[in-house]
Amino acid sequence: MDASEVEFLAEKETVKIIPNFSLDKIYLIGGDLGPFNPGLPVDVPVWLALNLKQRQKCRIVPPAWMDVDKLEEMRDLERKEDTFTPVPSPYYMELTKLLLNFASDNIPKADEIRTLVKDIWDTRIAKLRLSADSFISQLEAHAKLDNLTLMEINTIRVFLLDSLNCLYKLRSNQHPGSSKGQFADF
Amino acid sequence: MPCERKPMRYGHSEGHTEVCFDDSGKFIVTCGNDGDVRIWEGLDDDDPKFITVGEKAYSLALKNNKLVTASSNNTVQIHTFPDGDPDGILTRFTTNATHVTFNSSGSRVAAGSSDFMVKVVEVSDSSQQKTLRGHEAPVLSVTFDPKDDFLASASCDGNVVVWNIKEQSQLISWPLLQKTNDVSNAKSLCRLAWQPGTAKFLAVPVESKVQLYERESWDHVSTLSDDLLTQLVNVVAWSPCGQFLAAGSVGGSLNVWDVSSKLCVERQKHEKGFTVCGLAWHPSGSQIAYTDTEGCLGLLDGLRTSTSNSTNTASKQAAVTKPAKDYDALFDDDDDDRVMDEGQSDTNSPVKKPIAGDDDDDDDDFLMPATGRVRSRAILDDENSLDTGSLKLGQEKFGDDGDTGSGVVPAAPLVPLRPAYEGPMPTPPQKAFQPGSTPAHLTHRFMMWNSVGIVRDYNDEQDNAIDVEFHDTAVHHAMHLTNTLGHTMADLSQEAVLLACPGTDELASKLQCLHFSSWDTNKEWMVDLPQGEDVRALCLGQGWAAVATSALMIRVFSIGGVQREIFSLPGNVVCMVAHGEQLLIVYHRAPGFDGEQALGVQLLQFGPRKSQLIHGEPLPLSHRSYLSWLGFTAEGTPCYVDSEGVVRMLNRSVGNTWTPVCNTRETCKSKSDSYWVVGIHENPQQLRCIPCKGSRYPPTLPRPAVAILPFKLPLCQTSTEKGQMEEQYCRSLLFSNHFSFLSSSGYEIDEEAQSQSQKDQQELLMKMFALSCKLEREFRCVELAELMTQKVVTLAIRYASRSRRMALAQRLSEIALEKSNQIQEAEPEEEEEDYSSVRRPSGSGQSEAAQGRHSSRRYQEEEQEEEQREEEEGREMETDEASETKKRVNPFAKEAVSPVKTNLTPITKGGRANPFKVLGSGKPSSASGQPRVTNILDNMTTSRKSFPLSGPAGKQNKNTVLKPLAPRPKTKTQSTLLQMSGTKASNKKTQQNTQLAADRQKQPEAPTPASPADNTENKRPKTGFQFWLEENRKSITADNPDLEETDVIKEAMGRFRTLSAEDRLSWTERAKTGDPADLKKRKRAEGGAEGAETEKGQAEADENSAKKKKSLDPSSKLSAFAFNKN
Repeated sequence: MDASEVEFLAEKETVKIIPNFSLDKIYLIGGDLGPFNPGLPVDVPVWLALNLKQRQKCRIVPPAWMDVDKLEEMRDLERKEDTFTPVPSPYYMELTKLLLNFASDNIPKADEIRTLVKDIWDTRIAKLRLSADSFISQLEAHAKLDNLTLMEINTIRVFLLDSLNCLYKLRSNQHPGSSKGQFADF
Repeated sequence: MPCERKPMRYGHSEGHTEVCFDDSGKFIVTCGNDGDVRIWEGLDDDDPKFITVGEKAYSLALKNNKLVTASSNNTVQIHTFPDGDPDGILTRFTTNATHVTFNSSGSRVAAGSSDFMVKVVEVSDSSQQKTLRGHEAPVLSVTFDPKDDFLASASCDGNVVVWNIKEQSQLISWPLLQKTNDVSNAKSLCRLAWQPGTAKFLAVPVESKVQLYERESWDHVSTLSDDLLTQLVNVVAWSPCGQFLAAGSVGGSLNVWDVSSKLCVERQKHEKGFTVCGLAWHPSGSQIAYTDTEGCLGLLDGLRTSTSNSTNTASKQAAVTKPAKDYDALFDDDDDDRVMDEGQSDTNSPVKKPIAGDDDDDDDDFLMPATGRVRSRAILDDENSLDTGSLKLGQEKFGDDGDTGSGVVPAAPLVPLRPAYEGPMPTPPQKAFQPGSTPAHLTHRFMMWNSVGIVRDYNDEQDNAIDVEFHDTAVHHAMHLTNTLGHTMADLSQEAVLLACPGTDELASKLQCLHFSSWDTNKEWMVDLPQGEDVRALCLGQGWAAVATSALMIRVFSIGGVQREIFSLPGNVVCMVAHGEQLLIVYHRAPGFDGEQALGVQLLQFGPRKSQLIHGEPLPLSHRSYLSWLGFTAEGTPCYVDSEGVVRMLNRSVGNTWTPVCNTRETCKSKSDSYWVVGIHENPQQLRCIPCKGSRYPPTLPRPAVAILPFKLPLCQTSTEKGQMEEQYCRSLLFSNHFSFLSSSGYEIDEEAQSQSQKDQQELLMKMFALSCKLEREFRCVELAELMTQKVVTLAIRYASRSRRMALAQRLSEIALEKSNQIQEAEPEEEEEDYSSVRRPSGSGQSEAAQGRHSSRRYQEEEQEEEQREEEEGREMETDEASETKKRVNPFAKEAVSPVKTNLTPITKGGRANPFKVLGSGKPSSASGQPRVTNILDNMTTSRKSFPLSGPAGKQNKNTVLKPLAPRPKTKTQSTLLQMSGTKASNKKTQQNTQLAADRQKQPEAPTPASPADNTENKRPKTGFQFWLEENRKSITADNPDLEETDVIKEAMGRFRTLSAEDRLSWTERAKTGDPADLKKRKRAEGGAEGAETEKGQAEADENSAKKKKSLDPSSKLSAFAFNKN
């Protein structure tokens, strides 16, 4: 799976926009959108929000969690806890990226938010690496990780699986008999 | 010491806060983590002034109108108070200062810092600094000796140190506290406090107690504690008199001790248990303001220490004036006073209650206009001090002293007025405002936020500009104007921006209009008002602008700048709004009393038909509130919001009354939150507003987002199903009033929405009906049925009969009958019109009829017509009476009632022949007030559904007045509600044909095409009496040949009743088993009669209807389904 595919999925999330045009309900396969009243917030998928934003047809209202205080709190919690803390949105990273890239003028303190989300991301990825490391070094057969987002799983999947395969090959060569059962799960 | 804990209110963002009173006690001043110092004119101030002093403000001190703050840029700054102008930097540290304080005279400031130092600086000359070094950790707090010799400080190193300021040396150090490495980690802020006046004691909060150290000897003399106080004491503060000590703890408890007796005289708990980190006494000693680490501000009011107990104040003052007094003597004195107090407390208590009442009022006062608040507050405070003061005067020798003591209360000079007038005090009239604007004193504010766009005003030092932004960019692009004239008022419409500025000494008040929609090149015009006349309010209508001036005048301009109208207003304008051709003005009718505003309202209509719709009637407001928003719904119904958050809307259907439709306060999370209304839509029902946390107005930045609130009429018991449905129904009715208004004033209406709302209403009625049925409330069922349209009544009848409530079903059929009567009353007029003689296919009849109806309303009818109608009415009444009397005579017997029905059923055909009758059901015109629209709408819905079936019938509709009119083929009603339509139709029959009753009898076998379905369906209603009547009619008519139809029935009734019980029973039996032959015969007879006497067209129509009837069956199923669903 590609990161862009994950992003594509993220674009299905809804976000509030304040349109500056008026349009009746539009009926799409995925559901009805609108009606759009100028000045009145309406929920639309991110892809539409960004499209409208780029055409200067709306202002995007950042999601509630995209707020410096809340993110700071989350970052601190993320740093404090050893396990993964629940994230505000399953696509927090993608949404931050998309919204900040295209609508940073509608989001107060965009730079701080960018930094904070990056911090949270880094912390989580570090944790992920760490747990992958201990997973391998302790020769565990299975592990459970909660609260991971799709993007995070996606970043480590290729590397982890490949390296596990590699390890398996190496180990099965080294101890042809003993390690077989252990890695059978893979 | 009973005191009142006022609800907390949001003041700052989370984090450390501090609070103090200004010298007069008029303002509460707070600082907080957001770097702002807020100046509150009391706890209820919704719009406190604020001064931004830095990124964060750690501490503040206020004396002699100098505001000293410790901010995050490591400086201690001075600002002027209350203007908030920066007045230089007092001193700097290498890190931030943690606490600043003034000495008693205000000449020096002490500041403790996280860099371990304490500095003492002369306010007048900041170069004269004394640095006190010796702490080994950040300084927690500092306090001056009131005599200016010493200074005490507490530090995170655990020591509380007393310094000699002159020598900059440590006098004594007590290791009392836990050691920490930073202020943020300290368990307690350990705010020290030195007793004012005598400077006898230094209070040091140590864990959960407060220790008192004596000056000079520096001995620990006593400890103040309370069993209920278990958490660390964070802050302490002496009352201004020095007798009481207040302490706030980490756990949120607030205690006040009487120092002399060491008794805890007051215990309060923070409402949420947050850490109290700031504490300040009102200079009069009657209030304590406190703040917590969550940024909230609270107030304890009504402390007895000095307002209501002058003895203490007095003795304190005595103590102050006689500082030489020795320790024991002081306490002796106080003890004496306390005894007196106790004796007096009983007498005081009754007084206390009214005061508490006043406080409550005070509490409500925050709803009063900002302009009025200060004054009225002062008045009320005054009352407090006066009540107690006058009581004191009589009782105490210190009376004079007491008065001087209360002189601290700002309004004391008003005291002498009191005996002169004790009635209700007039309310300061609220100032004129523009709805949708934020107060003019803000530097960044909204001048207008309405459904068209936003006008913002930036009034910085560097520039003064106005930004106009449109919600819909298709209207116009955003505009940026420099505000050289100093405009303070604005309005915005799809056509123009209207701005106005008040006049100055040199310049007249100006009105500027940016007419951006103008097609010529001049997009702007400006008008000077006559000298001395100021614009107070303005608004933009469609093609015109109105301005209310200080000369009590309304000036109306065209949008291009032509002066069109001028008229006087009976009072000072409060605000004014326009929509389309309507102008709504609210003004002061008279002075209000006791916090009420006396407002009047006028609604004018411009355009081709100029008229005044509301002639200066009083505007109802909630108790002690003022107007906070005025406007029109998008559909043009006037509405307004008062400061209690109640939204009211004009109810045009009940003689222009105002109906409360929403209370925005109910949705607020906390008391200080509010919703700032920006627009109201009736369809869909939306109250558009901006949620404001902790204020009444939104800030311009961050850009506020609009939220939508639902409407809710304050009906009783809306928690029950019944209440809910009633609320929905009333609301739906109220919010569909605009349809009739719009159509009557010639606007287009959204027919689909209207029919939808009508459908919803009927659905709700049906639900309510079903509910009442379940609850065995049959009378209520009938009441509900009276509100229904005819076709829904038929559903109701079915429901009733299915649930075996025959009595109810029969009553309902009466109603249905009445309804059809009403419809038919109107009908003959129409038929007399030109079309009457024309043959028409059934489908078109209705549209023509509709047109006829319109015209008949508008134009004089011919005499003949009127006469005929009168006749018919008379007859109708007779029939009604007849049936009613019968009912009354034998209320329980079905037979007694049914004859009327039976009698009528056979004529079903006739009724169907003219589809208009059935369809033009409508509600009783008296109830709806707009029968015409209703009918049309009704037609529309149904006809749409069945349109494909109606075929050629649809052609002629176009000639109706309202274009939505669709062909009126058969409707569900007919197919589902056979019985119903039967009665209806028969009713009509009676009217038209009574005089021909005799003829009818003679033409028994006239052929009429009758659909078999009819027969079967008609069977049901037959009753014994009916059968009997069939048999005996001839004999009756023979006996009384001159009888009219109704009389025949009456007569028949009488005779039937005289029959023996068995006979009657046998007839009933017969009715049950049915007598098809009989039935058919009768039917034909009646139908034939009808066919003969009515126009031939109707016969044709019969055929049509018969055919259609079949084709419509699916829709009948549909309606049945809808009904079941309900």
